[in-house]
Amino acid sequence: MPIRESIWLALDTLRAHKLRSFLTLFGIIVAVTTLIVVVSVIEGMNRYIAERVANMGSNVFYVTRFGIITSAKDWIAAQKRKRILMDDYEALRAQLKLASAVGASSWSQSDLKAGDKQVYDVGIRGTTPNMINIGTEQVGDGRYISETDFSHRSYVCFIGADVAENLFAGSPLGKTITFRGQTFEVIGVARRIGTVFGQTQDNFVHIPLTTFLKIIGTNRSSMGIAVQALRPELMEQAQDEARLLMRARHHLPYSQKDDFGIVSSASIYALWENLTGTIAMVAVGVTAVFLVVGGIVVMNIMLASVTERTHEIGIRKSLGARRRDILMQFLVEAVALSTAGGVIGVLTAFVGTRIMAATTSIPSVLPLPAVFTAVMVSGGVGLFFGIYPASKAARLDPISALRAD
Amino acid sequence: MASLSAQVKGGIEDKAVPPDGLLIKTLNLWKTYLMGSVEIHAVCGVDLEIQRNEYVAIMGPSGSGKSTLMNLVGCLDTPSSGDYWINRRLVSTMSDDELAYIRNKEIGFVFQTFNLLPRASALHNVELPLIYNGTPADARIQLAKESLRMVDLEDRMHHKPNELSGGQRQRVAIARALVNHPSILLADEPTGNLDSATGQEIMGLFDRLHERGNTIVLVTHEHDIAQYAHRVIHIRDGKIAKDERTR
Ligand SMILES: Nc1ncnc2c1ncn2[C@@H]1O[C@H](COP(=O)(O)OP(=O)(O)O)[C@@H](O)[C@H]1O
Ligand SMILES: [Mg+2]
Repeated sequence: MPIRESIWLALDTLRAHKLRSFLTLFGIIVAVTTLIVVVSVIEGMNRYIAERVANMGSNVFYVTRFGIITSAKDWIAAQKRKRILMDDYEALRAQLKLASAVGASSWSQSDLKAGDKQVYDVGIRGTTPNMINIGTEQVGDGRYISETDFSHRSYVCFIGADVAENLFAGSPLGKTITFRGQTFEVIGVARRIGTVFGQTQDNFVHIPLTTFLKIIGTNRSSMGIAVQALRPELMEQAQDEARLLMRARHHLPYSQKDDFGIVSSASIYALWENLTGTIAMVAVGVTAVFLVVGGIVVMNIMLASVTERTHEIGIRKSLGARRRDILMQFLVEAVALSTAGGVIGVLTAFVGTRIMAATTSIPSVLPLPAVFTAVMVSGGVGLFFGIYPASKAARLDPISALRAD
Repeated sequence: MASLSAQVKGGIEDKAVPPDGLLIKTLNLWKTYLMGSVEIHAVCGVDLEIQRNEYVAIMGPSGSGKSTLMNLVGCLDTPSSGDYWINRRLVSTMSDDELAYIRNKEIGFVFQTFNLLPRASALHNVELPLIYNGTPADARIQLAKESLRMVDLEDRMHHKPNELSGGQRQRVAIARALVNHPSILLADEPTGNLDSATGQEIMGLFDRLHERGNTIVLVTHEHDIAQYAHRVIHIRDGKIAKDERTR
């Protein structure tokens, strides 16, 4: 029997048993929906991480006290580490040969006041003047912290777009902000950055690192040293160079691990990929279980269908249907059934991710290869689990099939 | 000595490929069912020969083995032993696919209960045998329509079986049986589920088909029906009891 007849017949049978077909497909629908939603979210997050989170500026890495810590044990051990101090910054700046720029910044948090307005928990960063070239912030209005501000420990500040909006009605330039008992003159406003995972990135104040150390205290704060490599291909070598210098400064013997961390876009991205790898594996596991369950249900319903239609099979055989014709009829039906499940699953996932995008800040991108794979795999499940019922139907003896009711 | 050689010679002759024109030939055909430990011999050593363009009725009481014999002749069932040729081809040793081919090409079977696909239109039901021999769609529809015209049902081709009367359903089944121009038309109690007027109508159709050159074998237990045929074979307990030419 030509394949077109088989497909026509399969679709006709599915139409005749809409509800039963849908219930049958539940497992496959859930499997495909899970897979597509998870893949969409991971894909969306990937782009997000690549574009926003891990974008530290081009060719830039940070030398920090903690680096990326992923376990409580490491965190406790890291508490004993030495702070990274001004000396370290100066040493790196003087000695790194593969760096085009070396900056530093230190971080704290504070409430801000300007006139009768107040905002809470704003990130305060003490920075070196070159951080405007190294980091991702850009000047929108006014100017950034200058070398003079830096050496004079001036009370000036460069503020994020949110801070400007929340504290001032007109232009903030020349106005003052008070925090930690000191008053700072606003010299510049940053261009708006936007949000990451629904968190605004524009709620910050930068002040000269020297001023920062004066009000917070030189020894209490640890800083991050930002290093910009000369060229992208020198990133790794520059990191090694910085690592060697820091190890020498900390007098680490050969056998001991680093007591500081080096963080780059690449290392954050690697961490993220590690995490998504785990999520993806879980999703694949869940999908596989549901696919097998779905496949067994399809097999069950196909067996029921064969029993129900034994008489029909008898009629077809009496008219000259060969084993392979009947086999094909039921295989195509099983594949059509489960492929329909796959398609419904993809549509459900598509609607689901749209709703998610509209109501939450979880990003998602529907990747076409995943859609294609999911539909193919569900068809494959139908093929595999359809073999037994279909061959059972094909093997029926014409006269005994005809006798069945 | 002479009788032995005659026997051997006879055996060889019997086993030889039947001559052209001999459409059906069975030799010592048996069908035995096993019910638990009891053997039921439904067909016991039947030798049957049917020539091209014969019109044969097989008669006998209920349970005498008529349907069993018919199913064997129609290649729906396989004999327990014995040989069977259709159109000079030895059927009793054929593979599954070869049997399907014979059912498709050589035989048109008409059942007492019509055996139409309930969800398919009359046209599609008649198309079925053509689907299984790969006839292209447009030729198929053409042939199916012609076949329906032969039984005067062209105007009902889009009706489902449950939208047709019993007589019309049986005519659809006959159109289906004839659509591939089979060598032989087999009908097992074709009027069994019809009232007598409709039954006569169907028999009239068989008469016309016979006049056009079709070979027909029909099973019945009614004399009224059997009298349409030109030869009547009486069956009793799985054996041929009488074989007579009536016209
Ligand atoms: N599938 C079967 N299993 C066991 N016995 C059968 C089967 N089919 C027919 N028989 C027996 O074979 C005999 C002949 O049956 P059948 O050919 O249907 O007779 P008829 O068509 O002449 O009424 C009966 O005794 C019947 O009970
Ligand atoms: Mg019978």
